Amino acid sequence: MLAASSVEIRKVNKHFGPFHALKDVDLVIEPGKVNCLIGPSGSGKSTLLRCINFLEEYDSGEIRIDGQLIGYEAPGKKMSGRRLREMRRSIGMVFQQFNLWPHMTARENVAEGLIRVRGMSKSEAHERAAEALTKVGLADRMTNHPARLSGGQQQRVAIARAIAMEPRLMLFDEPTSALDPELVGEVLNVMKTLAGEGMTMVVVTHEMGFAAHVADKVAFMEKGELVSVDIPDRILHHPEDARIQSFLRTYHERNNF
Amino acid sequence: MFSIPVFLESFWPLFWAARYTVLISVLGIALGLVIGTLICAARLSPYRWLHRFAALWVSFLRGVPLLVQLLVFYYALPVIGLDVPALAAAVITVGVCASAYISEIWRGAIAALPKGQAEAAVAIGMTPRDVWARIILPQAFTLSLPALVNELILLVKASSLVSVVGILEITRASQAQAATTFRPLEVYIAAACCYLLLNLCLAALGRYLEHRTAV
Amino acid sequence: MDWSILQQYGPALLKGFGNTVLCWLLGTVFGMALGLVIALLQRYGSRWLNWIIQVYIEVIRGTPFLVQLFVLYYGGPLIGLRLDALPAGLLGLTIYGSPYFAEIFRSGFRGVPHGQIEAARAIGMSEPAIVRRILLPLGLVSSLPALVNFSIILTKETVILSIITVPELMYQVQRMSTETFRYVEANLVLALFFWALVEAISRVGRRLETHVTKHLIERT
Repeated sequence: MLAASSVEIRKVNKHFGPFHALKDVDLVIEPGKVNCLIGPSGSGKSTLLRCINFLEEYDSGEIRIDGQLIGYEAPGKKMSGRRLREMRRSIGMVFQQFNLWPHMTARENVAEGLIRVRGMSKSEAHERAAEALTKVGLADRMTNHPARLSGGQQQRVAIARAIAMEPRLMLFDEPTSALDPELVGEVLNVMKTLAGEGMTMVVVTHEMGFAAHVADKVAFMEKGELVSVDIPDRILHHPEDARIQSFLRTYHERNNF
Repeated sequence: MFSIPVFLESFWPLFWAARYTVLISVLGIALGLVIGTLICAARLSPYRWLHRFAALWVSFLRGVPLLVQLLVFYYALPVIGLDVPALAAAVITVGVCASAYISEIWRGAIAALPKGQAEAAVAIGMTPRDVWARIILPQAFTLSLPALVNELILLVKASSLVSVVGILEITRASQAQAATTFRPLEVYIAAACCYLLLNLCLAALGRYLEHRTAV
Repeated sequence: MDWSILQQYGPALLKGFGNTVLCWLLGTVFGMALGLVIALLQRYGSRWLNWIIQVYIEVIRGTPFLVQLFVLYYGGPLIGLRLDALPAGLLGLTIYGSPYFAEIFRSGFRGVPHGQIEAARAIGMSEPAIVRRILLPLGLVSSLPALVNFSIILTKETVILSIITVPELMYQVQRMSTETFRYVEANLVLALFFWALVEAISRVGRRLETHVTKHLIERT
């Protein structure tokens, strides 16, 4: 069993210039639980996710990982770069565009953080990287550069890169949106395994099937507001809020095309 | 020490000499446009020897320092019986050199046009001539305007080299003045300021054109 | 061609060629180093510093190399900067090249997808480590064609050093041609020589480019 973090988000606000991207968002994620964020594009779900590891700076409110405020020492006073990096070490993130480093092989991509951030020796890091890659089913692709890998394989390398750092919390930013449909399954399977091991996960996704079967909670966002959080069945199959109903209707129409 | 009065006084003769700098650059780019367009057409033509000639022209002129080209022209023209004044030799050198770069600017702009543009014109039954005259060239010209202004800026700077064949443009004038006043620091900085001023104006023109032709 | 002339001037020409290569190599290396520093300062420096750098870039790029050399070589002594022709030429080339190299690096850095920097931040890499491990290698690779291209331009600029009496190839050729009155031949040979040199460098550059990008291009 992995050590898993909790996340508490309290009254978080975020502006991009005049645009109010997050409006008083509250959300609690318990240790070891999987939380999916769904909603129309531009609803602020990716922004919220990126605030959790402070890649995006929120303007007000609090985000606490295991009770520790991230990004700020105190309200209005930014955290030092060093402290922020320490906190980020235990938060893994997977991006829509994979963001693998193209000049490094799959194994070097995974080992890079272990060497530079965890201070491991090269041989130890490579061994650890090999383990992580084996876990995502890429034992035979370790010496390939990203340009030689399919999208699904690249995304699995990106997951391996994150889990090799032994995070206590994993953030997924639309991990399958950039993939061809036939490659989505392999990535979702790896995520499912990870969820089964008790990792705390926050997943921004359009994969309603994944949300229905794997998530413990589903949160629906629209126009920067967190409309509702509940167990998947009640959000996805018996939504009360009209906005969720309309979102799901559009979603199903598009998928039945 | 740096003397501001000397610096300011050296400006007037340099401004007066700047007319040669401008003349050589403007005539140079005009000549370059004419020859460059022909060279680009040759480069894109289906005739192999024409194509080869154009490629060689571009490669040679871009491979040889302008100063060397200038001296070759300056000394070689009289040998082949063309006794032209230094100013003409300077304009020809600058123009011929610019033609190589301008031909590449055209070629780049034409290549940058989406293939669909020509295809769409062919699809509605336009003749090849119309496709070039109505669709490709107007767009390529717009696309290459910023690069052409940039080329003109390069020519203004390059024209300083014609001072070696004795044309009294900004650089030559500043040399003459430095020799009489014994204040090379102030005089040459003033010369630099003249060029900077000219080029800032040209850069502003470039931005204006780019802005105006932006689709 | 009269071979006795070559015999007489051969050593001087060879020495001139050596100086040309020296000026080109050192000018490129120093100019690149200074350009890299400028590009990094632009990326990480304060707004004030950026403003000063911008002025520097505009001034150097807006003025002819020859005039810059005059300021440095003839104007320098008036403020206590006394340099021989060769070091003055080297310093001039370095300064002249630096803003162009800086712009090349800057756009190379801009070409590194932001996501790849974010991915490094997300696993807690420090900024210096990100620069060293991600930004520099990727930025350098994408800048390579432009770097080669500009270093070729610098080869050609070295001839201008002859005007401030740096004893490089052009200088020696001019001396030879004024003493022998063989202006046309001497300059033509010089032209052919530079043509060959530039073609050779750009060929090596293209090789280098395919070599360093071989892992980065998707092969299907």
